[in-house]
Amino acid sequence: MYYIDLAVTGISFGCMYAMMSVGLTLVYGLLRILHVAHAAVFALGAYVTVLAANATGNIALGFIAALIVTPLFSMAIYRLLYEPLLTYRPDVPMIASVGLLVLMQDAFRIVFGEQGVTFRRNALSFTTFDLSGVTVSAVQIAIVVTAFAVFLGLHLFTTRTRIGIGWRATVSKPKIAASFGIDPIKVRYLNFAIGAALAAAAGGLVALMNNLVDPAIGFVVSYKALAIIVLGGLGSVRGTLVASLVLGLVEAYGTIFIGAWLDRDAIAFLALIILLMIRPQGFTGMRTA
Amino acid sequence: MSAYTVSIVSIIGINVILAVSLNMISGFCGQISLGHGAFFGAGAYAAALAMVATRNVPLALLAGLVAGSLLGIIVGFASLRVRSDFLAVTTIGVNFLFVGFVRKQPWLGGEMGISGIPATGLGASGNMIMILLLACVTVAFSLYVSRSWMGFAFRAVGEDEQAATTLGIGAGAYKLAAFGIGTAFAGLAGALYTFFTQFITVDAFDFIFSVMLMAMVVIGGIGSTWGVVAAAIGLTLLPEAIRFVNDYRLLVFGGMLVLVIRVAPGGFAAVIRNRFVRARQA
Amino acid sequence: MSAVLEVDNVAIRFGGVQAVAGVTRSVEAGDFVGLIGPNGAGKTTLIRIIAGLLRPDRGRIQLGGVDVTSDPTAGRVRRGLALTHQIVRPFREMTVLDNVVLGAGFAHTSSPLRALLQIDRRRESERAAEILASVGLAGAERKLAGTLPLGQLKRLELARALAVDPNIVLLDEPLAGLNHTEAAKQAETICEVHRRGITVVLVEHNLEEVMRICRRLIVLNNGSVIGDGEPREVMADPVVHDAYVGGRTAAHAEA
Repeated sequence: MYYIDLAVTGISFGCMYAMMSVGLTLVYGLLRILHVAHAAVFALGAYVTVLAANATGNIALGFIAALIVTPLFSMAIYRLLYEPLLTYRPDVPMIASVGLLVLMQDAFRIVFGEQGVTFRRNALSFTTFDLSGVTVSAVQIAIVVTAFAVFLGLHLFTTRTRIGIGWRATVSKPKIAASFGIDPIKVRYLNFAIGAALAAAAGGLVALMNNLVDPAIGFVVSYKALAIIVLGGLGSVRGTLVASLVLGLVEAYGTIFIGAWLDRDAIAFLALIILLMIRPQGFTGMRTA
Repeated sequence: MSAYTVSIVSIIGINVILAVSLNMISGFCGQISLGHGAFFGAGAYAAALAMVATRNVPLALLAGLVAGSLLGIIVGFASLRVRSDFLAVTTIGVNFLFVGFVRKQPWLGGEMGISGIPATGLGASGNMIMILLLACVTVAFSLYVSRSWMGFAFRAVGEDEQAATTLGIGAGAYKLAAFGIGTAFAGLAGALYTFFTQFITVDAFDFIFSVMLMAMVVIGGIGSTWGVVAAAIGLTLLPEAIRFVNDYRLLVFGGMLVLVIRVAPGGFAAVIRNRFVRARQA
Repeated sequence: MSAVLEVDNVAIRFGGVQAVAGVTRSVEAGDFVGLIGPNGAGKTTLIRIIAGLLRPDRGRIQLGGVDVTSDPTAGRVRRGLALTHQIVRPFREMTVLDNVVLGAGFAHTSSPLRALLQIDRRRESERAAEILASVGLAGAERKLAGTLPLGQLKRLELARALAVDPNIVLLDEPLAGLNHTEAAKQAETICEVHRRGITVVLVEHNLEEVMRICRRLIVLNNGSVIGDGEPREVMADPVVHDAYVGGRTAAHAEA
């Protein structure tokens, strides 16, 4: 039973990592930039969810607020930080992104306090279900369901709607897409907006899970997301999904074996480095070099 | 000299060594390393263990240098396999791994760190002078490398590896050299830091610190030794001089990093260089 | 006397396509070879394999009788090979002179340790200036390479290749993107290089110039050699003609 508990934990974390990381891989796939500041987007989503929920007394409204604010923030990052730097080596916008992340994290600490913010009323995080001996919390269910819904929605969007198809086309073959009249700039904004929305959802769910949002919330997850997208093959959404779930499970089970000599959070990086040494192209092997 | 001044100057010296050595790897040779703190830390821990065991200062210095360099060369091998932004992520990973690993090792002090490290016997002022001497050595070495054929080859490798190989430059060997040398100095700085504080915890060597070091390199001007020295001194003094900066250190550093990259990607060194060029052409 | 360059049953496959399909040729000292063929024939791929930038699935490369198949590019350069790129790759942050000086100093950069111990650049600077003059770039020494127009960048590529004192140069489309006059001038410079005793292997689409300056034509199609010999004879060969004009197989390969 314990092992199934771990599986549940692993899968729910994996789903959360997936929603968080897809935004990162989308930006890389389109612009070849490692959008490290994505973690700040995630953290902002978490903060807005809690604050809006507290202000309105309704958690759902908190989520909606986050889904509105966070994409705007993300698009602003593109416009103000990345767009002017596109002509430089890819390291340059990355370093700027790192700077922005550090700045934002400290800003969160200054504005919202070292202790962070909590939900005033949160029934969900303490509700658990017992399914034939396995304990599952309501939040874990919410995470998995949301992730499923979100990715299904994303799949439908990119295969059934005009905008979605245009977006996919631009990511894989920008010049051809442009010659079909699809505006590459609009696609970029869409890219950042969708990635941010997903991260905001993940942030809100994490806030529900821990019942707390503190300045460090983006910290470790962000760098894990970096490891995940490399493992999944930079730019590949499917790869990112797989890598996220795998990491969630490896962390859950791995702590048993490795937890004695390595911090749980470092497992992701150990896996990353091992994989990069064996297969520098990542899981789904996109020859991006 | 007041105890406070000695302390500040010591920290400045250590930061100069760290920033200049990072500049050799990332500035001269173009290998973005966002985990320099790990090599600094490796050196610090090696020196701490050496001091606790033997109380021998030269040995501790050597231990720090070797530890930093060994870890650096291992990471350097990684740079042969993966390209530049993958490498940046790998160095971040190395930093996290280092911290995550040390935290769990009782023989390295775990979360509590190593305290009560024996003093060097030189006193605070003596330590400071040792630090300043080694900082001068580092700067002089960096200037020399910059002017030598090694620096020339580094710049080529940093800009375009493949083009460099078609000129007979074995990019792999040079990348390893850059990492090995830059991290050796970082390890040395680690040893000096251990002498200075006599108490180390792994938090001092985390990713955030690595980012601050990269900020010094970027703001000073990637590739410019003097620019980086100035930035290291300036950014170390800034939190001391301005209370606001001290409380909001990361905010300011992050903000400066973003601002400089947006406005003057070549750092202040490039701005000054351009002034001179324009003045000469006028 | 072994040939300057020997390619022995070299083949490579990627993206599901057999880009080079078992090519075996040798190039003698003093040859002036034009490597031509329709788009997608495998010319650049073959050149890159010879230079060491791509590893073939099988086959051997020999330079002056020495097997260099497992040598990296830098090692092959030290054995007398030089390469120019189809899309120019100058060091944009360096001056034009420095771009060539770096190549001229290849003896100093053989190992990092060696390079660390050497500072003096005077001799290499003089040699670099001479080379720049010989390719028609005298006076451009102090300019930043990134500011040069394409025609001059192509000359810089050539100058860099000459700097490493090669006995064979592989030129990948040195005339591409040049207008008629520039191309003619560049072709003349290449002839100059050949007259100095350097073996030249030239990948080109500009058939007018190729016919004019090359002594030997090797035609590639779909990764295999379909013609090799005196330019006029080769071009008269109906098989070669089909490959260029008939175009059915070539078009499929491009799709």
